[in-house]
Amino acid sequence: MFTRGTLIYIGQRLVLIVLAVLGVSSLVFLGIHRLPGDALFSEHLHGTQYELTLHHYGLDRPLWLQYVSFIGGMLHGDLGESLVNRGVSITPIVVREMSVSAEVGIVALLFTIGIGMSFGVVAAIRQNTWLDYVLSTTSVVGYSMPNFVVATFLILAFGVWLDNITQGTFYFQIGWPGRYGTIGAIWLPAFALGFPYASIVARLTRASMLEVIRQDYIRTARAKGLREWVITIRHSLRNALIPVITILGPLVIGIITGGVVIENIFGIPGLGKEFATSILNRDYNIVIGVFTGYAALVGLANLGVDLLYVVIDPRIRY
Amino acid sequence: MAPTSFRFLKALGVGAMSSLVLMACGGGNQQSQNLASDQTLNFPILGDFGTLDPAIADAETDSEIQQNIFDGLVKFDENLNIVPDLATAVPQASSDGLTYTFKLRQDVTFSNGDKFTSKDVLYSWNRAAAMQGSYSTNLAPIDGYDTVAKNKASGAALEALLEKNDPSVTLTGLTAPDPSTVQVKLSHPAGWFMSAAAMAGVTGQVVDQNAVKKDFDNWWTKPETAIGTGPYKMVSYTPKQSVEFDAVDNWWGSPKPTVKKVKIDISVTNASTAITKYEQGGYDIVGYGGYANLPVADILRIKSTSNESSQLVLHPKVRTYWVSFNMVSDSSRPAKGPFTLDGGQTAHDLRMAFALAVDKKKLVDTVCQGIVCTQATGGLIPPTLIGYMGDNQDPLAKFDPAKAKQLLQSADPTGAKTKGLSYAYDPENPLNVGNAQFLQAQWQENLGIHVDLLPVAHSPFIKARLKGSYVLSRDGWQADYNHPQDWFDNLWGHVVGCPDSGCTTGYNPKAYNDLLDKADAEPVDQAKADYTKLNQMLIDDVVYIPLYYSVGAFLIKPYVKGAGTNSFFDHYWNETQILSH
Repeated sequence: MFTRGTLIYIGQRLVLIVLAVLGVSSLVFLGIHRLPGDALFSEHLHGTQYELTLHHYGLDRPLWLQYVSFIGGMLHGDLGESLVNRGVSITPIVVREMSVSAEVGIVALLFTIGIGMSFGVVAAIRQNTWLDYVLSTTSVVGYSMPNFVVATFLILAFGVWLDNITQGTFYFQIGWPGRYGTIGAIWLPAFALGFPYASIVARLTRASMLEVIRQDYIRTARAKGLREWVITIRHSLRNALIPVITILGPLVIGIITGGVVIENIFGIPGLGKEFATSILNRDYNIVIGVFTGYAALVGLANLGVDLLYVVIDPRIRY
Repeated sequence: MAPTSFRFLKALGVGAMSSLVLMACGGGNQQSQNLASDQTLNFPILGDFGTLDPAIADAETDSEIQQNIFDGLVKFDENLNIVPDLATAVPQASSDGLTYTFKLRQDVTFSNGDKFTSKDVLYSWNRAAAMQGSYSTNLAPIDGYDTVAKNKASGAALEALLEKNDPSVTLTGLTAPDPSTVQVKLSHPAGWFMSAAAMAGVTGQVVDQNAVKKDFDNWWTKPETAIGTGPYKMVSYTPKQSVEFDAVDNWWGSPKPTVKKVKIDISVTNASTAITKYEQGGYDIVGYGGYANLPVADILRIKSTSNESSQLVLHPKVRTYWVSFNMVSDSSRPAKGPFTLDGGQTAHDLRMAFALAVDKKKLVDTVCQGIVCTQATGGLIPPTLIGYMGDNQDPLAKFDPAKAKQLLQSADPTGAKTKGLSYAYDPENPLNVGNAQFLQAQWQENLGIHVDLLPVAHSPFIKARLKGSYVLSRDGWQADYNHPQDWFDNLWGHVVGCPDSGCTTGYNPKAYNDLLDKADAEPVDQAKADYTKLNQMLIDDVVYIPLYYSVGAFLIKPYVKGAGTNSFFDHYWNETQILSH
């Protein structure tokens, strides 16, 4: 499946991703140092005290020197020390939070593709029936609602109402157990994150399927007596997936950035939650680390989507 | 041989005593039966602590956690009296007010088994003075502080200097005549020194050199080196996610910890999410660790929920909010404005007009819903603290729109002076937003003056405010320790650096500074009257518009016995028990 050309292509893309990550982090580094205010300033910290703290972080050096140290650190995988949590190294935090966000994001993506394609296929093969109307309406509602509204409603329904109805025996418990969480902790935030995008996928899949199932080769397949599910899955869906895969790139980015809201609402210790708190706290080093993490995630996710084309459509070669 | 009747009485006495002992034992059994088998306390903090290193700790969350891990020589008890901690008694100052001699407990060990001695106090305090953290000035009265404060060494280099007692990092006034005695000699009398030394979680706390030197800057992040003398020790820490503490086996102090494990969730940063999780049974407490500012909407909902309203604990806290005027016009202070002291009586009348035009009671009812704050009528220092002037003693707390209008008309008949004013505030705290909108409406309604609102992010806001950049600004202070010096030194006058450094208002009259120096040197009982006069001076000059004292809101499950708060800090974890539920 992966020819030599594909592997060269992957290598080139990885180099580009590294360059993009360096570029993004450099831009953020230079930009954030222009922001007013800083994490170190406090009503209690005066004169020498403040200067010593600046010195500890090297913030009393010229900006270009700070930048050189930053790049040097980055190339060694060291994003520095938190300005707010003094003594706490950032790289392990960002790596851990990336893994948490990736977990939620992957499950959200499964929801997006699973629900979206199921809805789309069923709506297409049952076109103009009550089932089509229900699924299409659900899709319209889904992509009309922002994910924070979906998230708040889901917490209310599964975290509060269900808790009350079942007298605390069955409900969604908010929080993130351990380092990697559990399926019980992931499914609801992942659903909240993925559902609006699933609606888009459903609409697109339906439209695409409707076009494909009217093609001659589908009629031929049916005429030669293939079973209906073989026609739908192997012949119709595979071809209908190409436009869906095309929008998967932007959807993945949407899911990654949508985590900022969802992780804060559900209390998930991922990159999205860090993104919001570190900016509010002016914790420069973490902000840079988070942006770096996001740049890497987005780059890798886009590469993954591009490679999917090869899997879905044998005509495509890199 | 005793007479028969006496023997009978003796037998009766022994019987009665035995019964009492049995009853007492029985009671104990009863109590232990009521305790839950799992003595784990769960609560969230809505943001990670900045550090657990007492030398550089700054935030309330830092000290709320640290007070259970570290000890100082003295501490504040539940009623905010200074009581011995690692010392055997609270020492009295010598007759000249310059020397304190602490006798230390000899039964104290660190959680790693190291024995605590006077050397540890010297190391901890010298280190804290040399590191120049936010609260290093708590040690400023000690002889030699000015020299140590000039230290520029850090990390391993500083540790090396501390190891060899280098004069550049050694407080000359801090000595240890023997392993159980510490003598502190001050460079000048400071009646507030003992209060500052008792402040939890900062520079007065004692650390273990053997643990610290293993990783001078990061020792507190790892369970094997996060060592203190307190009843709990860290067993795991995942930054921004969770931290766990276990009770120290055979801890030297009392009460012995009943709660064996404390789990703090750091992953939830949204207060409403934390409350939902509490309601699901995921937490035992919400509001601990300096996060007692729960959203008003949630508090109102809980108050109206019959099975939860009793779990809501509202308690006055030691924070006051007010409006500050820019009082000084000089080249270093960009704000200028019509309220400065050089404007004489006219400026005074204008300030008074702005103060009297605000209906503070209505503000409390509207913005705080009458729940999360109370009207500040007794001066700057809130009730329960030394220095509180008494209910309704602050004339600036009054609401008199007619007089306000009259003062404005005489001071600014054309309206030229009060044109284009703006009120700066930091909008991260929703109450600040409500306050700003309320003040704007009150000044418009009662004075006919339109004041623009200027929201500025917290950090740049504080920075600009302390540089004298705002004519009118949101101001406030949270007490660090129970002594008025904490307020009058840190906000006005020459000690904090007024008029041009670290000073919101610039207020710096000679009379204020002279009285401040006198009060700071006096023992607290004597100084109280002088601090009250300082507050009166601020009132007479209308330096501020008092708004409210804050109230903390906590949610505590009924089975968590002993949990709660005083006006300063959360109850110590070792005073808490989990009952069967």
